[in-house]
Order: sequence, then C-alpha cells, then structure tokens
Amino acid sequence: MSQEYVHPAPVRVWHWINAFAFVLLVITGVQIRFAELINFLSLEDSVRLHNWVGFVVIADYALWYIYYFSTGKIRIYYPNLRTFAADAIKQAKYYGCGIFKGEPNPHHMTADNKFNAMQQKAYIGLMFIFLPAQIISGIFLWQVKGFENYITMLGGIRIVDTIHVLLFYFFATFMFVHTYLATLGHTPLAHFKAMFTGYEEDH
Amino acid sequence: MEKNKCLRLTATAASAALLVCVWSATAALAIDNDACMECHGDNMLARNESTGMKDSLYVDYEKFKYSVHNVNGIGCVDCHADIDKLNMDADVPHSTNLAPVACTNCHEDVAEAYSNSVHKKASHKGVDIPCYACHDYHDTSRLVSATVSERQNSFCLKCHNPNKFHDWLPQKESHFALVECTVCHAPEVPRHVNLRFFDLVDNAFLKGDVVMRHLRTDPEGFSELIDRDKDGTISPQEFEDLVLMLRQKEIRGVFHGELVAEINPVVHQVNRGEANRDCSLCHSSTSAFFQDVRLVFDMDDGSVASYNVDRQALQTYFVAFNALGTTRVRLLDKIGIALIAGGVAVVFIHLSARLLTIPLRRKNKNNPEA
Repeated sequence: MSQEYVHPAPVRVWHWINAFAFVLLVITGVQIRFAELINFLSLEDSVRLHNWVGFVVIADYALWYIYYFSTGKIRIYYPNLRTFAADAIKQAKYYGCGIFKGEPNPHHMTADNKFNAMQQKAYIGLMFIFLPAQIISGIFLWQVKGFENYITMLGGIRIVDTIHVLLFYFFATFMFVHTYLATLGHTPLAHFKAMFTGYEEDH
Repeated sequence: MEKNKCLRLTATAASAALLVCVWSATAALAIDNDACMECHGDNMLARNESTGMKDSLYVDYEKFKYSVHNVNGIGCVDCHADIDKLNMDADVPHSTNLAPVACTNCHEDVAEAYSNSVHKKASHKGVDIPCYACHDYHDTSRLVSATVSERQNSFCLKCHNPNKFHDWLPQKESHFALVECTVCHAPEVPRHVNLRFFDLVDNAFLKGDVVMRHLRTDPEGFSELIDRDKDGTISPQEFEDLVLMLRQKEIRGVFHGELVAEINPVVHQVNRGEANRDCSLCHSSTSAFFQDVRLVFDMDDGSVASYNVDRQALQTYFVAFNALGTTRVRLLDKIGIALIAGGVAVVFIHLSARLLTIPLRRKNKNNPEA
C-alpha cells in the first residue's frame, strides 16, 4: 500500500475552515429562519454570527481561488471533455453497483487527477456557480439598503432571498451527502484521515 | 385584534361626540375660519414683542385645510377658545393675551398616556415639550395612512438622529425605512402592517383613485370586488387575483409593506430604556406585530380606503416586504425539506445496501477469481 500526497496544506486549511464555517452558517441560518421553532441563540446573536462567519467563508474562498489559480492546480477541476461522459457513467456504475461487489474504484486518485468525473462535475458547479451565488446573495442580504440598486436589478429582495434560501438547503444537503461519500474510501475513515494528513493511501 | 376593534369603535364614538360638541360650539360662536384668515392669511403678520415660541402669526390655510382638525370640522376658535367675539374696528380684533391652546381639553387620554413618557418627564429638567413641538400648530396631519418616512420625519427625526444609537441593529437603514420608531420605542402600542401598491412603471405609489378607476369601482365596491367570500379579509388567493386584475389593466408593480404603530394614545408612552430589543418579537412567523395587515389607498379627497388582508399574503412574491423569518415563503421550505429528505434517503439506501452486501464483498475478496 503506497501513499500519495494529494491534499496540500492550503487545501486542507481551506477545506476545514469551510466545513466548520458551513456548519455554523447552517445552524445560525436555521435559527434566523425559524425563530419561532428554535431558540438556542438569540436572533440578534445569530444574525451577527451568521454575518461574521459569512465573511470568513468569503476570505476562505479567496484563499482557495488564489491558491488554485496561482499554482495552476485549478486544472484538476476541469473535466476532460472527450472522456468526461464515459468516465462519469463508469463512476456512477461503480457507486451504484460495483462498490457493493467489492470492485475497485475506476478512478485512481493522484495529486494531478484528484477528482473523479462525477466529483469534477459537482465541484465545478459548486465552486464557480453555487458558492459565488451564495456569497453574492449573502452580501446583498447583509446590507439590503446599501445594495438596493443591485437587488432591484436582480428582481427585488424576495428573489435574492429565494436564491440564498434555496442554496442554503442545497448546501445543507450537500454537507450531509458529502460526509457520507467521504466514508466510501477503502476504509470508512480513510478519506477523513487524508484530509488531515494530506496523504491518501493507494489501496 | 378584538382589543383593536374596541379601541377603534371607542375612538369613532368619541370622535362623533366631539364633532357634535364642536359643531354646536362653532355654530354658537359664529366666528368662522374665513374671518380669522382675513388677517392670519397674511404671511407678513407677526408679533412684535414675542415671549412665545414663534413670532409669525401667519397660518397657511392650504395646509390647515387638510389638517386632521379641519377635515373633522374643528375650526380656529374651537381651539383658541378664549376668542368669543371679534371687534373688526380694533387694531387687533381680539385680546392679544390669549391663553395657550390646551390640546388636552379634547385629547384627555393622550394627555394621560403622554404623562408617562420620557418627553413629558423632561419637564422636570426644565425642558417643556408641548404637543405642537411634534404635531405642529395648524397642519396637524392625518396619520392613519402616513408612510413610515412621513411619520418619522414629522415627529422623532425633528430632534433625534437615529444613526447615533442603533449601531447594534442589523440592517438599520432598512429598519429606519420600513419600521416606525414607535413600533419598538412604545412597547405597549398595537402595531400593524400597511401595504401600498408601488407602480413599477411610474415608479411611484399608486393613488387610490387611479386603482378604483381602473377597476371601475369605488372604495366600497372594491371590497365587494376583491373580497369575494365576503369574510372581511382579503385572502392570499384574492390578493393574487387583485394583482392579476391590475396586470390586465397594464398596471404592474408590487405591494410595499411597512410596520407602523396604531394611532392610539399609548403611542406617546416612549420611555428611556424600555424599547423592544428582542428581535424575535418581529422576526418570527407567529409575531403578533404582523397579525393585522391592511391594504391602504390614499384617496384624492383626503380619505383613506383600508382593507384587511390575511397575513399569509405577506408570504407571496407579490409583496416586497421581507421581514426575516416572519414573511418567509413557505414553498421554499417545502422544497428545502424535500431536498434534505432526498439526500438522507439516498444515503440511507446506499448505506443499507453497503451493509447488506458485506458478505458478498467478503466472498469476492476470498475468491478473487469468482
């Protein structure tokens, strides 16, 4: 069994800050939206914490952006258009069938080819569309009056709020599914360990 | 709600009684406003040696005409009650040593409420804040349908700069724009939401007369036209139908909402350190502040057409009033719960399949050839 260094330190720092920040955002977001049902934080504190953590996520996104673009590693997010469809089908078959039979994962993880075809598809959407949309809608909702003109351009406060809330539910679901998928390594905790050490065990 | 109705009925009865008294008094005195305006309509009229708060004796009749007092038939000498006759041959037709107007002669309940307020208590420190410091002398405005901006600019903002004291408040600019000061600062006052139609084409609030004209009705007929089930409240469906009817008439816009205080004497009970600071009083879908929702139209004759609206209408996309939590669109939560449930189901099914197929994987591992 060999080890491959696939998660450099900046990526691990970014990932775990993002993970904890998202947990806090979901908790405070639920408190803000359902104040009549839940009462573990005052609304005033929830809003303040939600805003501060939101800015941590923005700074963390900047870390991710600068690291990946400055090193050129952003390429790992780009799907190979010629093999993408076939690879994605192969990967889906593995998750839906092969994994239960003990077949090997068709994707071999390396530092330059970290994501399988399905991950590439998911993460490119997450990092270039969904997360920026959540950040921008969040900034607008942080200062509604200050960004009134932009909010109006997007169709009004209700539309911006709808985008933010739907993405909130999406990210809450994503975190749950993402954590489960992380148990699909050669042992249930292998990928979790790798996200701390940086080394994935090539089994 | 019941309490509000009681208050409104009491206020209406009191106003009616007052009008009868005033009408009788005015008739007896027979000094009409025109006689007063002969001199006080001159914008140069002023007191030479003043010890009072103002020197000018000019009354802008155009403003007075639309004041809440004149609209209700209350004339000059009803308030300046120590003028019982005019001697038009004299330099000044009445005594130059008139008593200050005592608003409390009529507004007793307001006086009582006001006595328990930081503004009245300031008199102990030598600061006298009479009614007209906030309400003005002669253009005391009708406030029933006044916007938050009109209410605040006419009253609190004359003296107070809210930007100095609200740094803790998230979205303070939005709060200042959409929530009247007294909603938080007069904790006992009943509150309600006023909805107004904002025309996106003309970029202005649509006057009631224009709406009625397009719908070929009047304020009374409007209720019958929109409130089809005749339950006295415009339901979300009836509200949506209203929007569609307006669209058919090429009127496109949204309803703007504002949270305002009821015109009630306790609105004067503003005291230091007693303002509401619990955000969840407003920001929860069960907030009592959002129980009473009204659709209001200002009519050209100075009256106000007001209709009760079901609070669920605030949760539709036709209303541009986003009070966090309170006016949340329930459909989004249903979509969100379906999304999370779908994610949980996929994980549960996949995990179950993994657990159930453990023997199969063991077998395949032991017999790689198979």
